Amino acid sequence: MPTAEFPNLFPALPEIFLLVAAMALLMFGVFRKDDEAGPARVRCSRIVARLCILALLCALILVVTMNGSDRVTTFNGMFVVDRFAVYFKVLILISSALSILIAQDYLEVHRVARFEFPVLVVLASVGMMLMVSANDLMALYLGLEMQSLSLYIIASFQRDDQRSVEAGLKYFVLSALASGMLLYGSSLIYGFTGTTSFDAMAGALAAAPGEAVSLGALIGIVFILAGLAFKISAVPFHMWTPDVYEGAPTPVTAFFAVAPKLAAIALLLRVMMEPFGALTVQWQQVIVFISVASMALGAYAAIGQSNIKRLMAYSSIGHVGYALIGLAVGNEAGVRGVLIYMAIYLFMNIGAFTCILSMRRRGQMVVGINDLAGVSKSNPMLALALAIFMFSLAGIPPLAGFFGKLYIFLAAVQAGYFTLAIIGVLTSVVGAFYYIRIVKVMYFDEAEEVLDRRMDRPTALVMAATGILIAIFFIIPDPLLSQAQAAAQSLFGG
Amino acid sequence: MPVAIVLLPLLGAIVAGALAFIDPGSRAAKARIDKLAQAVTCGALLISMVLAIITFNSVAINGQTQTITILNWISSGELEINWGLKLDTLSAVMMLVVTVVSAMVHIYSIGYMHHDPSIPRFMAYLNLFTFFMLVLVTADNLVQLFLGWEGVGLSSYLLIGFWYDRPSANAAAIKAFLVNRVGDFGFMLGILGVFVLFGTVQLDPILAGAAEHADTVLNLFGGEAHALTVICILLFIGAMGKSAQIGLHTWLPDAMEGPTPVSALIHAATMVTAGIFMVARLSPLFEQSDIALSVVTIIGASTAIFAATVGCVQNDIKRVIAYSTCSQLGYMFFACGVSAYGAGIFHLMTHAFFKALLFLGAGSVIHAMSDEQDMRKMGGLWRMIPVTYALMWIGSLALAGIWPFAGYYSKDIILEAAYGAETGVGQYAFWLGVAAAFLTAFYSWRLLLMTFHGKPRADEPVLARVHESPMVMLVPLFVLATGALVAGFIGYDAFVGHESGAFWNGAITVLPGHPALERAHESPTWVKLAPLAVGLAGIATAYVMYFLKPDLPGRVAAAFPRVYRFVLNKWYFDELYNAIFVRPAFVIGRSLWKGGDGAVIDGVGPDGIATATMGIAQAVRRVQSGYIYHYAFAMLIGILVLVSWYVLRSV
Amino acid sequence: MIFQALAFYLFALVAVGSAVMVISSRNPVHAVLFLILTFFNAAALFILMGAEFLGMILVIVYVGAVAVMFLFVVMMLDINFAELRQGFLRYLPIGAVVGLVLLAELLVVLGGWTFAPDASASVQSPAPGLEQVTNTRALGLLIYTHYLFLFQGAGIILLIAMIGAIVLTLRRREGARRQDIAAQVARRPADSVEVRKVPSGRGV
Repeated sequence: MPTAEFPNLFPALPEIFLLVAAMALLMFGVFRKDDEAGPARVRCSRIVARLCILALLCALILVVTMNGSDRVTTFNGMFVVDRFAVYFKVLILISSALSILIAQDYLEVHRVARFEFPVLVVLASVGMMLMVSANDLMALYLGLEMQSLSLYIIASFQRDDQRSVEAGLKYFVLSALASGMLLYGSSLIYGFTGTTSFDAMAGALAAAPGEAVSLGALIGIVFILAGLAFKISAVPFHMWTPDVYEGAPTPVTAFFAVAPKLAAIALLLRVMMEPFGALTVQWQQVIVFISVASMALGAYAAIGQSNIKRLMAYSSIGHVGYALIGLAVGNEAGVRGVLIYMAIYLFMNIGAFTCILSMRRRGQMVVGINDLAGVSKSNPMLALALAIFMFSLAGIPPLAGFFGKLYIFLAAVQAGYFTLAIIGVLTSVVGAFYYIRIVKVMYFDEAEEVLDRRMDRPTALVMAATGILIAIFFIIPDPLLSQAQAAAQSLFGG
Repeated sequence: MPVAIVLLPLLGAIVAGALAFIDPGSRAAKARIDKLAQAVTCGALLISMVLAIITFNSVAINGQTQTITILNWISSGELEINWGLKLDTLSAVMMLVVTVVSAMVHIYSIGYMHHDPSIPRFMAYLNLFTFFMLVLVTADNLVQLFLGWEGVGLSSYLLIGFWYDRPSANAAAIKAFLVNRVGDFGFMLGILGVFVLFGTVQLDPILAGAAEHADTVLNLFGGEAHALTVICILLFIGAMGKSAQIGLHTWLPDAMEGPTPVSALIHAATMVTAGIFMVARLSPLFEQSDIALSVVTIIGASTAIFAATVGCVQNDIKRVIAYSTCSQLGYMFFACGVSAYGAGIFHLMTHAFFKALLFLGAGSVIHAMSDEQDMRKMGGLWRMIPVTYALMWIGSLALAGIWPFAGYYSKDIILEAAYGAETGVGQYAFWLGVAAAFLTAFYSWRLLLMTFHGKPRADEPVLARVHESPMVMLVPLFVLATGALVAGFIGYDAFVGHESGAFWNGAITVLPGHPALERAHESPTWVKLAPLAVGLAGIATAYVMYFLKPDLPGRVAAAFPRVYRFVLNKWYFDELYNAIFVRPAFVIGRSLWKGGDGAVIDGVGPDGIATATMGIAQAVRRVQSGYIYHYAFAMLIGILVLVSWYVLRSV
Repeated sequence: MIFQALAFYLFALVAVGSAVMVISSRNPVHAVLFLILTFFNAAALFILMGAEFLGMILVIVYVGAVAVMFLFVVMMLDINFAELRQGFLRYLPIGAVVGLVLLAELLVVLGGWTFAPDASASVQSPAPGLEQVTNTRALGLLIYTHYLFLFQGAGIILLIAMIGAIVLTLRRREGARRQDIAAQVARRPADSVEVRKVPSGRGV
């Protein structure tokens, strides 16, 4: 009887730890005596939320300390850990922890504080980490579905709110379609190369010289791209984004806007650079198209919005467009640009959402942009913070958002993609219009009825912390830059 | 440890800033948060102060000069900039002054801002300011120095406009910011010039290499100019803005709109002295250019006399002290101008103590008088607030340069150095300086007499509530008063006396051709006694005019109405600028707006584009229908387009 | 051999035909029944390939559990499918055009299919041949070793789905009866049984 070698669990320890923690917390929550929407349930959700944050932080420490700079694979080469994966895992864990932190108050106010929420966020994070570490088409799909399934649920978490349920359902149905495309593309690729492993695929595609790569394999890549483009809400697979962002509970939207994007961008980078790296010239055209379309749509469509959550949805579409420039460039500098961009994007977006979460009038959440009128007087700190985030999203120096764009555009210009860089700059000018409009509303419009001054403490802390990070990034950019550099190198160094 | 000195205030600012974001909900919680913010910021500053004293001991006394590189900041082509700390005697002295005064002001603020609703914000700003000031004085390259320079400008703006609901405070804040922009522009050009000339912005190679470029010429607009002269004058323009020298001084008196502790910290002791610090820091550069040094001397001396005359007729207690600051900064500059940098820095240090003392004392008076600042409505206060009265005396004696107070030593040596320079501009500076010393003593005692003596002129309810300040405000005053008393004779030997060579340890460069400071010690006796004599004369005159014959000032003013009005209106600087810069700018702006912008640009340019943009935005919105099958269909069409692209391309 | 080919085409045709009926039949109950037919044919195709375990699993799980549950749901929900279909018909032409173009393109792609030079080499066959081990054993040897990662991951996905179902639907209503084991165990005959003597000819 053949005995298989037991796989090395060591590289996947953070994921395993998080899974065990999630299941333990699930058990803890289930066996606590609880009552529908009563204080015991809220208390239980608070404890679980804190423990979940703790677990995420422990996983963060594990991720950082367990891995050296070497590339390690395990589970028969399906799971890979390198500097690139570590970089994204750190960002994902940070965004998940921050999301849980800022969600609690909202959930309590809306009487949906249940312990399953943080557990689901943790499970989604595990899915994202698996995506980031995927080194096989099957592992990729598995991670993707793990995070998607958790996301459907938390999008509908406010189950008595019709729009929340609608958001979850829309995301579910369209995501299923996207998964179908992804699987179809995967099967085409499998048909061409005869393998699902990224390493073997890279070998097979590199061995087939330019012309010999069959059209089928290219179409397969297109389908895989489409499936992933859906996850990062790039045009034309973006249609779900505004509706889901608007309908989902605000902290969930904050999570949606950051963590899944990070994971999907990471996956996209890895898939395009590692197995399909030999075909860069071919897939570049698709990426350029998607990137330009996303930038343009993100800039133009946001202008007409009156709901700030929808506006953030279009903003995120636009930002994905900028990040894709880096991928379209397709070299190490470009990837480094994307990595820097996504890290800065994380903090800008979480910060902006803390501000949105703090928009309340007589205890009720409001999301209209016009509701922000006069905030500069009633709540100057909120106004200042939101102004910092908006200026940063618009890419105005010396805030961090400027540097994110700078490195992307620099990479594009250095590689000779002037058109892309110019389109990027032009659309960011258009985009600046709507970001700055928010600042204008806050500082120059008179309010009929001001917002509450009350701010939830963790949210305020996250707001202050991210705001300071964004504002002073230019003083100490070096740690992030060097980490991104190392991560990008690991993707190319093999 | 030096890193901790700089970073602790930043940490405090971040914590207090975060606390400012918290909405306390209840009054008790607010009190707790305020307490916490005060404890954190004062604690950070006090630790920083202790560390600065230890560092001063090791660097300045024991001569352990060093440069610490913390982080790589910018590396782009040739430009290589680090975060670093340059620790030598000069920066150690500045660190000591900044942290001590700042710590005292922090503690004082606990009492002074007691009733203010946004204490954490105030404390965060103060800490932030201190951080930037420390970045400035410890910078090991010009860009970091510039960052600190702009940072203190920013904090100053925030603090002047701290009471943002007062229009006058906002206007003053904007004015300070704009006037400083003019200076900063010169400063930036100066830094650029240095980079062009030396190929680096690190201070060490620049200072070491200054002598090599003594004769370099620059081609500017077709003509040739001595490179270092151009650079030094540009840099000095920056210093003029920050240190409120004549021409760019108009923001300083207006800046008194800020809370009094701010005036004491920023507009007396620290930020405004940044210009003197910069000139002393770059002394090797300035030494190479006699023209630049003459400019510095003339501007300094002119400011000293100009501000002193204006100070004599102001009625706002804080404005008197503000003009006095302006005037004393002039002294420091002309000390640097005659190559007596040590004397300039010496006066900077003593001045920081006694001027902060005077400001905080004035704050104590204002506090006692229920926020009244007009001296005409004070009078007769000395029995009611005796401690403040005594402290103000100490400050005034030091300011007037009466032996044995600190000001005596530092002002004396400056004037002797000016005399000892044995040049035309030196003589100019000496005589104006002596005249200004007379006026200084005069307006100081005018302030004392109007505030504390004579009949009480305040309203009955105000008088009833006059009270001595609490201990938390008085203790810092005692510390500063000690400094104003002893800083002079303790520091004299080290800063300007026979130990000065060992003390400065190369931090300041003086060429052998500029022996003003050495000769100062050999100047004639009448030169040594002149400042003291005119000081006493000034005090006597003030006594005659404001104590013995109170109707005399009115008659003097009536006798020379034009002179009086000229001085009262601050030599018409504000009006002049208004006529030359502000109004034409408004006119040009208006015509551009109505004609250019309204007609041309709005018709065709941005507004045309904006309209088109709006149209596109509308179209995009219509596609977003909300139906799942529309969305799914869009995805299918997307994939169809992409697949077709590849299929058609390959066929 | 010819028999196998004939069987394959038969099952495949029926599978495709009934799949078309699933989406085109008017009555939802019929649609589900056609779905069951599709499953059966797919199972037959598996068996034809020698994967009898998969075929049986398909019948047991999909037909026995999933499809029957669909049937229940369809019968319980009162949905007017005719109404939903109106949109379907309105968009049919353009949908058909898009679908046909895509289909045509994919046919072109598949028509010109080539393999990577060493594709056949990299297609490993991790499972030993049928003649060596049984179906079940081969599967077991693979999924618990080579594909352990995917197997565990799939388990997690199922767990998440379960959590989702509970989170989104479980409500505690008034009057709903739940099992309370402690109460059941603590029950005594005296609490619930009352012995009465019933006189003949009269009710209780």
